Amino acid sequence: MSISLKNYTLKYLAAALLVIIAVWAALFYAVILDELYDNTDDGLKDLKIQIIRKAYTDDATLGINEFDFNQFKITPVSSAQYKEGNFFRNELFYMEYDDEMEPYRILETYFLDGNGNHYRLEIRTSTVEEDDFGLDLFFALIFLYIFLVVSIVLINNIVLKKVWKPFYGTLENLGKYEFGKQYKPKQNTTEIREFKLLDQKIDKMIERNETAFTQQKQFIENASHELQTPLAIAISKLDLLIERETVPQEILTDLSETKHGLIRLVNLNKSLLLLSRIENNQYTDKREIEINEVVKHVLDDFTDLLQFKNIVLDFAETAVFKTVINPDLAYILISNLIRNAVKYNSTGGKIIVTVHAAEITIKNTAVVKEPLNVELIFNRFYKAANDNTSTGLGLSIVKSIAENHADLNIIYAFENNFHVFSVKARNS
Amino acid sequence: MKILIIEDEPALLVTVKQFLEGEKYVVETANNFKTATERIGTYDYDCILLDIMLPDGSGIELLKEIKILNKKDAVIILSAKNSVEDKVLGLDLGADDYMAKPFSLMELHARIKSAIRRNYQKGETTIAFKNVELFPDDRKVFVGKAELVLNRKEFDLLYYFMIRPEKVLQKTVLAESVWGDNIDQADSLDFIYSQIKNLRRKLKESHAEIDFQAVYGIGYKLI
Repeated sequence: MSISLKNYTLKYLAAALLVIIAVWAALFYAVILDELYDNTDDGLKDLKIQIIRKAYTDDATLGINEFDFNQFKITPVSSAQYKEGNFFRNELFYMEYDDEMEPYRILETYFLDGNGNHYRLEIRTSTVEEDDFGLDLFFALIFLYIFLVVSIVLINNIVLKKVWKPFYGTLENLGKYEFGKQYKPKQNTTEIREFKLLDQKIDKMIERNETAFTQQKQFIENASHELQTPLAIAISKLDLLIERETVPQEILTDLSETKHGLIRLVNLNKSLLLLSRIENNQYTDKREIEINEVVKHVLDDFTDLLQFKNIVLDFAETAVFKTVINPDLAYILISNLIRNAVKYNSTGGKIIVTVHAAEITIKNTAVVKEPLNVELIFNRFYKAANDNTSTGLGLSIVKSIAENHADLNIIYAFENNFHVFSVKARNS
Repeated sequence: MKILIIEDEPALLVTVKQFLEGEKYVVETANNFKTATERIGTYDYDCILLDIMLPDGSGIELLKEIKILNKKDAVIILSAKNSVEDKVLGLDLGADDYMAKPFSLMELHARIKSAIRRNYQKGETTIAFKNVELFPDDRKVFVGKAELVLNRKEFDLLYYFMIRPEKVLQKTVLAESVWGDNIDQADSLDFIYSQIKNLRRKLKESHAEIDFQAVYGIGYKLI
């Protein structure tokens, strides 16, 4: 699972915002409430001074001992109950308008009238409903949070898309790039220094790799080519020696065996060169080929050998198998498979070749009645234990042609004592 | 028959020269572009063996030169670069054949013969040995006046022997020339033997005076 950069940042931003807003909300709530009470209390204190002053001059005031529209009451108290100071408390009172109990802020204080009597003064004022306030604040903050997250998503989408566009461009360009093929450096499309640097570094890296790759490619090819001439000389010299009638028989036999060895070297060299060319995409001439025709051609070339080895050939075609491939490589692909089917077959064995619409299967009687190691058979230089005639490259070449050059897959299976090699079109 | 070998590798040049002289050709050599240009400009050859990579120029340029001069010489390209592009380019430019190094001398000989014959009918149109006559272009074989019917591979096999009668033909060369890469060396020994046996039986049945002689460990000889 991978997550896009955009969503990745968003995930953390959303979590962080939630915490920040929660903390901020708590602080905000406390500060606002404090300020509110402070204001209310100041108002109450001011009112207290006015009421006490009034009470000094107007005895009627002293008679107000119930909260009604006055919003204060004065109760006589004993001197023992008298206390200095202002005492605030919150209390719930029934409010007709709302038809429920509402919080009131109450200032309780004590005073003496002109005659020295003790009184308790309580002034009340409707104050903020903390629960409602908290709830309102909570909803407001939820809304703010959602609004912020949505805004961030939108801004992220617009800004990040714009900001990261060159980066995605670079990614796409890299995705299209194939090793060994001409790489087109990205045009300067960004003003962002980091991306510009990234592009430059990538271009440099690819250039270095390509140079190294080309040199190596060149080296393998050159090495193979350079080997051809000395091999040609050695083989020709041996040919000339073998031609000489005066050479004694034993020496002739030795010479012939030496030549055999050299020919194996030549074949190995050729196979390596072929493999390196396929893998370097040097066979550019591809066209649509009917595999059926190639198979018939190859089988025709093998007629004598099949007859000689007394192998029964069962060839059938149910449809025409067309695929885009270089004609020479198509021939090599099929002939390598058929050659193996002939070579690793017992006298009186059987080869079954079937061509379908997008598949060809080549089955041959197994000499040893057990499956081959699928992990190994397509590896370079893999040979069965006692096989000294093979270069160990035949199936590597087949695989390389099928998978690197053409759009084909090669699959091995072991069925009813038959080795089965299938070449299938990849998109079917 | 006059042949020009253009090849910069001295050892290979000498070997090929030696071999072709053994086959009764008149052989001249050039080991660089300059000498080659001079020779081509001055003399006519029946066949030119042309190495593509020369120290002071490309064999392809020489080939173009030959065509510009409107020369009728058959050209066989010899190249260490066994690449399809080179082959196609060479043949497109009018080369008669293309051989990748390393090649066998017998194969080279057979190709020279074919190239000369095809090129301007100057070579023998038939090859005869004792009472057997072979028509390479029609792919027919006659024993005396009677036609001997051979399949494709048998014909190719006989052709190789007829070009060089009384000389040893190595099994490896035969296998590669006639059956290409398809035959494995492990099989070739017995396989060639069985093919020769078939051919020998057919020749005997049609009263041919030629026969194959096995040379132990090496190959066969047409006698």
